[in-house]
Amino acid sequence: MLSGNLGRALQRVLLAGAAMAALGSVAQAADAVKVGCVLPLSGGSAAVGNQTRVGAEIAARLINEAGGIKSLDGAPLEVLFADSQSKPDVGVTETERVISRENVSVLCGAFNSAVTFPATEVAERMKTPWVVVGSVKDEITERDFKYVFRINNKATYDAREQIDAIDLLKEETGEAPKTIAMLYEGSDWGRSHAANVKKIAAERGYEIVLDEAAPPNQTDFGNQLLKIRAARPDAVIVALYTPDHLLFTRQMMEQRLDLPFGVHSVGGGMEDPSFYKALPAEAVSYAFVQEDWQIDKLKVTDDPVIQAANDASVEALGYGLSAYSAQGFSAMYVIADALERAGSADREKLREALVATDLQEGPALITGYQRIKFDEQGQNTFAHGVISQNLDGERKTIWPKANRASDTAPVWPVPAWSER
Amino acid sequence: MDAFILSYAVVNGLLQGAIYGGVALGLSLIFGVLRVVNFAHGSFLMLSLYISFWCWSLFGMDPYLSALITVPVMFALGYMVQSVVIAPLIRRESAMVVEPLSALLLTAGVFLVMDNMALMAFGPDVRALQGAYYIPTIFIGGIPISGQRLIGALAAFVVALGISYWLRHSDMGRAIRATAQNRDAASMSGINVPAVYAVTFGIGCSILGLFGALISPFLPISPSIGLAFGIKSFVVVVLGGLGSISGAIVGGIVIGVFEAVASQFVTATSASIGSLVLFILILVFRPQGIMGRA
Repeated sequence: MLSGNLGRALQRVLLAGAAMAALGSVAQAADAVKVGCVLPLSGGSAAVGNQTRVGAEIAARLINEAGGIKSLDGAPLEVLFADSQSKPDVGVTETERVISRENVSVLCGAFNSAVTFPATEVAERMKTPWVVVGSVKDEITERDFKYVFRINNKATYDAREQIDAIDLLKEETGEAPKTIAMLYEGSDWGRSHAANVKKIAAERGYEIVLDEAAPPNQTDFGNQLLKIRAARPDAVIVALYTPDHLLFTRQMMEQRLDLPFGVHSVGGGMEDPSFYKALPAEAVSYAFVQEDWQIDKLKVTDDPVIQAANDASVEALGYGLSAYSAQGFSAMYVIADALERAGSADREKLREALVATDLQEGPALITGYQRIKFDEQGQNTFAHGVISQNLDGERKTIWPKANRASDTAPVWPVPAWSER
Repeated sequence: MDAFILSYAVVNGLLQGAIYGGVALGLSLIFGVLRVVNFAHGSFLMLSLYISFWCWSLFGMDPYLSALITVPVMFALGYMVQSVVIAPLIRRESAMVVEPLSALLLTAGVFLVMDNMALMAFGPDVRALQGAYYIPTIFIGGIPISGQRLIGALAAFVVALGISYWLRHSDMGRAIRATAQNRDAASMSGINVPAVYAVTFGIGCSILGLFGALISPFLPISPSIGLAFGIKSFVVVVLGGLGSISGAIVGGIVIGVFEAVASQFVTATSASIGSLVLFILILVFRPQGIMGRA
């Protein structure tokens, strides 16, 4: 499958090259710039990894079709995908391989924080720039590394944004929850998110009345729902993976548990396209979801490149862009921009160009950011998730305000079950 | 802890516990007769959940009606697994031991094969069924009772009573009980022991077929769902008494209520640890279980 897609991409590259040669716009065929992309193409995160791959492939194709890297005589991008199998050790070996054997100019990947964390160490040591895709672990951009750049959120941003959204709605309506309950899966992600939420909520004056970790793959959430009922919170912040999130949401509807300021999910299950297929619309209505890309981006943008990318995604995957394909897409445009400014495929020059990145428009901002600019740690400080509310059977962006469509009106506080 | 919350927790626990009991019935029956601990119990449930799901998604069949498919299919599958996979082992070891312990390893193999085949065939995606109609939640004194869960819980009692009656009053039931008491004596009285074993295994699995159809409307389905119920079933059956039909229901309710009430005081994680501690205590002090005969 991979080689087929690559083959097709290469074919297009060759065609584009031929067309340009015929036009006489290039004196000689430029060498392709090799970009390595380490992704979980098999194993537990395979679904995510393959969506990211498709996004990166689409972006590379569109860039090449538009004439490649102009400052390099129209050199096309050649993306080499390496499979981390969702495992740190494999990811590290593959990183070493693409750097030393394939001689790539720049790397991207690797979704799983557990893979990205050690793999970027290899890239740093071998002086090859790495553009992080999807990994949120804070420490990835807290090690004074010079070759690591992260476009997307850090973990602490996720928690801050959930509270920011509540603050924004408070500012707009004068109404806000006083008490918040937290329900989260009891492993790395859930616990660290809960710790971040707890800290920020305390600073902003919200009281956490219930702090409940749940074991994975439950068959019943009745007990936790009862605890929430007994604690009487105004809102609940949820961090659960798909099966548990489904069960929780369904039982909450069945039990008619009223939360005046709603459910605030930090993604996980609620970010998964299969989640919405498995529940009646009633179960998710008015719920807030924090995501790594703007779900209604296609409705609020008229950028033809993004529309073309969405069409290509439908063709390749059967559905439109997701948070994951959008992030792969964005990374490729960030790399292309740096190459354009560097005017060279040399790793050192490319690193300098990435340091100077300051994108304020264009397809790289597909995920909904206003700007991409890295701080001295390589973190894009303008990264943010987007929080949407399920309204009329769709997720509509409500935070940040700049991303909200003019006709979207958040429902706050949310109506009780008996009034729906 | 006020009385409302407490009674709510007990109701939750009763519903969930009865469902645990119903799911564990087959495990207890199979052990009682064959002396085989069926490690693949959860996998059979997983499979019947998938059958129920596919009946709905491919043919638009109502999940409750899909029991008409899942029950016979699971019976046939259980019958086959027993007569093809487990029977040779029982024949080989019958001279040496009464309880074929290596059957545990064998069924563990069946469990691994089934779960991984499901992962290959269906993928890791979580699926959920959406009924065409909505069974309303009943409110009793402000306590919501999910209609779907209530049906599952009531079915557990009905099936347990039905099985007990059938074991007592039918020819096949009597043959099964005779075989459970003494395999060799039953054989000498003209009972076809291998057939009794295969039928018992089939019935144990067909109960899972029924519960697959009953719980598929409210439970998200994934290839690993079997494990969650499988382990719970072991705890339930050991607690209630291995081989005891009523014990499975009682054990289920004890675990259900214990976890529901305990998780109001501690996290659900600690409550599950508590139920496993209960399990160990029972094994130490009353190894035959609550309803089991010594």
